[in-house]
Amino acid sequence: MCADDEVSLLVIVVDVNPIWWGQQAQREPEFTLSKCLDAVMVVGNSHMAMARTNKLAVIASHCQDSHFLFPSKSWRGADNGGDDASSSGDGKYELLSVANNLIAEEIRNVMSKSEYKGNSTETLLAGSLAKALCSGQEMKSRILVIKAAEDCARQYMNFMNVIFAAQKQNILIDACVLDSDSGLLQQACDITGGLYLKIPQKVALGQYLLWVFLPDLEQRSQLVLPPPAHVDYRAACFCHRNLIEIGYVCSVCLSIFCNFSPICTTCETAFKIQLPQMVKPKKKKLKQPT
Amino acid sequence: MKLRVQLQCKNLHEYLRELSPDLLDRLYNHPATCLAVYRELPSLAKNYVMRMLFLDQPLPKAAVALWVKKDSQKHHDECVSVLSGLRLWHSQQLQGGLQGYILNPVFKDNLRIALLGGGRAWADEGSTLGPDRHARDIESLDRYAMERWEVILHFMVGSPSAAVSQDLAQLLVQAGLMKSETGEAPYITSAGFQFLLLDTASQLWYFTLQYLKTAQSRGMDLVEILSFLFQLSFSTLGRDYSVEGMSESLLTFLQHLREFGLVFQRKRKSRRYYPTRLAITLAAGVTTSPVSSYSKLAPTPGAGDAGFIVVETNYRIYAYTNSELQIALVALFSEMLYRFPNVVVAQVTRESVQQAIANGITAQQIIHFLRTRAHPVILKQTPVLPPTITDQIRLWELERDRLQFTEGVLYNQFLSQADFEVLRDRAQGLGCLVWQDVPRRVMVVTPQGHSEVKRFWKRQKSHT
Repeated sequence: MCADDEVSLLVIVVDVNPIWWGQQAQREPEFTLSKCLDAVMVVGNSHMAMARTNKLAVIASHCQDSHFLFPSKSWRGADNGGDDASSSGDGKYELLSVANNLIAEEIRNVMSKSEYKGNSTETLLAGSLAKALCSGQEMKSRILVIKAAEDCARQYMNFMNVIFAAQKQNILIDACVLDSDSGLLQQACDITGGLYLKIPQKVALGQYLLWVFLPDLEQRSQLVLPPPAHVDYRAACFCHRNLIEIGYVCSVCLSIFCNFSPICTTCETAFKIQLPQMVKPKKKKLKQPT
Repeated sequence: MKLRVQLQCKNLHEYLRELSPDLLDRLYNHPATCLAVYRELPSLAKNYVMRMLFLDQPLPKAAVALWVKKDSQKHHDECVSVLSGLRLWHSQQLQGGLQGYILNPVFKDNLRIALLGGGRAWADEGSTLGPDRHARDIESLDRYAMERWEVILHFMVGSPSAAVSQDLAQLLVQAGLMKSETGEAPYITSAGFQFLLLDTASQLWYFTLQYLKTAQSRGMDLVEILSFLFQLSFSTLGRDYSVEGMSESLLTFLQHLREFGLVFQRKRKSRRYYPTRLAITLAAGVTTSPVSSYSKLAPTPGAGDAGFIVVETNYRIYAYTNSELQIALVALFSEMLYRFPNVVVAQVTRESVQQAIANGITAQQIIHFLRTRAHPVILKQTPVLPPTITDQIRLWELERDRLQFTEGVLYNQFLSQADFEVLRDRAQGLGCLVWQDVPRRVMVVTPQGHSEVKRFWKRQKSHT
């Protein structure tokens, strides 16, 4: 039987970009942010129901910042005497109903209070992932990212740093993509050993989460799960954040540039490059007509 | 020579498998039970249940078999047998004629309620009664729980200061942990000794199982009691719950739990009760590792702290405790040397261990006892106990195991060799021959085979 005393943490990072979700609500009214959060709560509840030592954290990733939806105040959610949040009297396991109420309240706060400027459809995923990594320090943990909006090229550097940090700490990053494929998340899943899935039907999000992303590492070795996708490993240049295939690499700090520049902007080393010899075109003497 | 009775500590699943099918179905009517049963499943089975939880149609067996990779086939088979044995799913014919699996509908609905809500409340929250003026904090609850549980253990060891109710004493006798002659106070049996050396979580679970066995004879509804127990095990520590809506038999059960230390109620007529840590770890029972569950159960020092025994390679035991009960337990299998205000020094000798074994305790239990109460300093080394000590305790136990007893019936004084051989071959053919000595024409047959062999012999004699 399973005698797992190790605390196992599941961090769910939800992309709550209001612009994307607003457009989504107009495209497909049957799948809105609240439905997505319902599915997230189902998966979170299932994870916590699996074992007494399982813990859950939910982070909402907004345009310019990220918030912890659960646990909101202290980390020791399970040992609290259930002071503020009263459980719903509808047969749900107490621990789960406290968690669900907290999540619902926090997401309402986040969506109503956050101010955002501009109409960018970018979300600060790297920041949320960094927060998730920090919270999963002392225990076995994994991160599930639910991505809605497109990738933001400006976050490339931070993202790669987060991915390598997760790989070092043996933290899996799984990705569940709702709309457009994300090269960054594909790389993250490939490097850390997690699962990447682009969902064909958004309405069935809950079922996909339960079937594919609920099992933990040792159970995954026994189950048949979607195979890894083809990963786009192109790097982004440091000057424009464009994805390039051929570029210039500084030999000191290994930063990537798309154009040659005599001084590396990261480590400020000066370079001289041997340009091919310029041959001066010989002036052809015009034959004088005799 | 008495044959030693081993204390069997069943876990939750084995207990449930023994219940009758309709009792099980009634049991699954409560979300708490479903959640408790779900938690004890092997992890692959949990995933299977989760996948099928939100499906309303049966899944073909072939499809389910494809869920696992080729080399995990035996895990799949194990899960199938566990889930079928607990009646969590059953086979159903699909439309195409294939066999499919579908989750037990009662179980499915109640597990869904436990996860998502939408059903009735399990119990009334204490919030309807208003805040408690005499609220107890978690520390005092823990102290109360350990105190009450230790009174029971003290009573078993025979301390004169421990007094328990008539009901409880009778339960102990029925459980086989104590024996009572008429008119005398009960005294402990060898099974009782083994019980004492278990860790608290296993003791609780064993005790509860015994209680449940006698519950039906008391006229209590087994399903009601079990559901309430599981509900308790999922409650939050430090929170009070109200007794509203509890039936008579449940209220009696609550009083018994109060005596075991599983709940705290200020007065008998009190309208609210507090579950203690013992109740919450009850359903976690035998499957969690003893060390961690024990350390969670006894945070107060002096009254059975987590880890207070240091075992040295010179066969000395240093027990940093001043609890009478713990000292009495250590004295069961070792010789006391010195006693100080906070330490007791004992030595494990051949005589002391063999005396413990004569009382019915096994070497494995002694080693388990030492390991679960090992001091945190000792816990850091691997292995926790010195291998010399554990091996030597086992060897001392084996010294008594030089003889193996098998019951049998002796056949001798055969008149001729031919008679002997005919009967011997017949017994061997039946598979009940235990031993034979051909030159002396003596053979031993098992008691079960004796009647058959005797009949055959009588027929033989009447022929010749």
